[in-house]
Amino acid sequence: MATGSNPPPKPWEQAGASSSGPAPFKPSSPGSTSGVVEASGTAKPGEIVSSANRPDTVSAADRSVVNRNAFGRNIPSRPWESNYGNSYGGVGYNSGLNYQTGYGSGSGTGMGMYGSYGSYGSYGNGLGGAYGGGGYGSNMYRGGYGMYGGGGMYGGGGMYNGMGGPMGGPGMGGPYADGDPNNPYGPPSPPGFWMSFLRVMSGVVDFFGRISVLIEQNTHAFHMLMSALLQLFDRSGMLYGELARFVLRLLGIRTRSRKAQPPIPGGPPGHPDQMLIEGPPQQQKLIEGPKAGWDNVWGEGGSKAQ
Amino acid sequence: MPSFKTPFNGSAVKFSPYYETRLAVGTAQNFGIVGNGAVHVLDLTPGAAIAQVVAFNTNDGVYDVAFAEDNDNLLVAAVADGSVKLWDVARPPSANPIVSLQEHTQEVQAVDYNPVRKDSFLTASWDDTVKLWTIDRPASIRTFKEHTYCVYSAVWNPRHADVFASVSGDVTVRIWDVREPQSTMVFPAHEMEILSCDWNKYDDCMVATASVDRSIKVWDVRSFRVPVAVLNGHGFPVKKIKFSPHQRNMILSCSYDMTVCMWNYQIEDALVWRYDHHTEFAVGIDMNPFVEGLIASCGWDELVYVWQHGTDPRAF
Repeated sequence: MATGSNPPPKPWEQAGASSSGPAPFKPSSPGSTSGVVEASGTAKPGEIVSSANRPDTVSAADRSVVNRNAFGRNIPSRPWESNYGNSYGGVGYNSGLNYQTGYGSGSGTGMGMYGSYGSYGSYGNGLGGAYGGGGYGSNMYRGGYGMYGGGGMYGGGGMYNGMGGPMGGPGMGGPYADGDPNNPYGPPSPPGFWMSFLRVMSGVVDFFGRISVLIEQNTHAFHMLMSALLQLFDRSGMLYGELARFVLRLLGIRTRSRKAQPPIPGGPPGHPDQMLIEGPPQQQKLIEGPKAGWDNVWGEGGSKAQ
Repeated sequence: MPSFKTPFNGSAVKFSPYYETRLAVGTAQNFGIVGNGAVHVLDLTPGAAIAQVVAFNTNDGVYDVAFAEDNDNLLVAAVADGSVKLWDVARPPSANPIVSLQEHTQEVQAVDYNPVRKDSFLTASWDDTVKLWTIDRPASIRTFKEHTYCVYSAVWNPRHADVFASVSGDVTVRIWDVREPQSTMVFPAHEMEILSCDWNKYDDCMVATASVDRSIKVWDVRSFRVPVAVLNGHGFPVKKIKFSPHQRNMILSCSYDMTVCMWNYQIEDALVWRYDHHTEFAVGIDMNPFVEGLIASCGWDELVYVWQHGTDPRAF
């Protein structure tokens, strides 16, 4: 292995000495690195440090519980010391060691990754009624009903705004971290009585929750249909009225009104069509009749009568 | 500026201390989880493209590379199977690697060649140790074993031949003198694992650390109770940092938020520039010691970019 020439000087070497004051380092020793280290008595050629003679070494299980370094931080178990067999999960993203910690998973409970899918607390709420608050429900269905609830389009005016809450569902997963396929803490111990009982209850509640969701959705669909029909009929009254008026004005009524309505002597000025719109001819006569009579009493009619 | 596509996911990129156009890239298959690795030696050609000089394959992922400072053809690679391999670019691939040093019992995460004495290099490993090697010995000279968790980086002081710093998942920074039996300084620098560190080239007491807590901190080793500067801005853990070889106040960093950032730690708005050209985690950076502002980066998107600071890396 031939040693070549030295590389060009580094930019900072050309710039001269460091200028921030005295450094807390001993001056460099002359000679080669191997000579310097051997002269200092610290050399230990070829030392192999296995995990067996590391000073802090404990088993992976113990490490996660008790081992702390000088600064009081829990040392996580190393990826390759995990008793989880799969090499993908075990080694994990090589620098993924960093990656894993960075994303906040791998905490002691093994729930980090799936914790957001509802908690035990939300399950309890579910038993109490209203199936409140699980991540499952609040994320999916509340958003969905929010769309209906906006209401501007149908004029519903926020009728459904409150519907998100009860749709929560019992939440998935809950405390059962052992169902997690990425759980690095090995196979689970068999569940106890209360665990299995609660799991059965969870299944029951989940089942009825789903049925109620179906019913709820059907109800909503039916309601939307009915309200839309009602509004259509509501508007249709005006629609038909306008249409009929238009048709009548165009065709039937104009000619018929000329024939049907005799000119009223002494009546108020106005077009015959206008009178037609105001009301039926009989009523017109009834109203206008006495009016003409009163006028005749006090007005020019009176003088005419005299 | 040009880019180069590697067959595997990138893990580290380094410029040569001898040639301003040469750089080396370490890559690992399947994001370094399992599979092979490779070291690519690349040249920037006058036509603004990147040409491959040679590539060496390994049976496990390559996590870091470093050019030797005393031989322009020599290259050191940190390999995930715990070995440290030396490659000679002048020899054919069949004659490489010229040496494979097998002492680390876990993955070797980082390698750094001594830039002052130029005859030794450090390797940092997941077996919690840092090892000191010289070219003329078949085994390591010394093993530094004080960290209580994986050591992610060990970097020589650019002005002291015997001093280096190491950072670890045990959240501490340790400053070592190879003549001393114990570390000369130790201080907790972050709340979470520290992934990278580098010395200021113009101030031999200034060291910067990058952590999973998404921050970069600059420390004066003479008064390490309070950091000189804290640089926040990355959205995910900061994978590597590097002080500029030309300017005393500039720091380059890359992160799992897929960006490469240039910082000026001496001003209030420290973030000078953010490059988002990578479409996967950006895990390797370096700055050319000859051309000021020439930056190289690599990422899990299998692309190596070389560009001038202030320009778009994707513009070609």
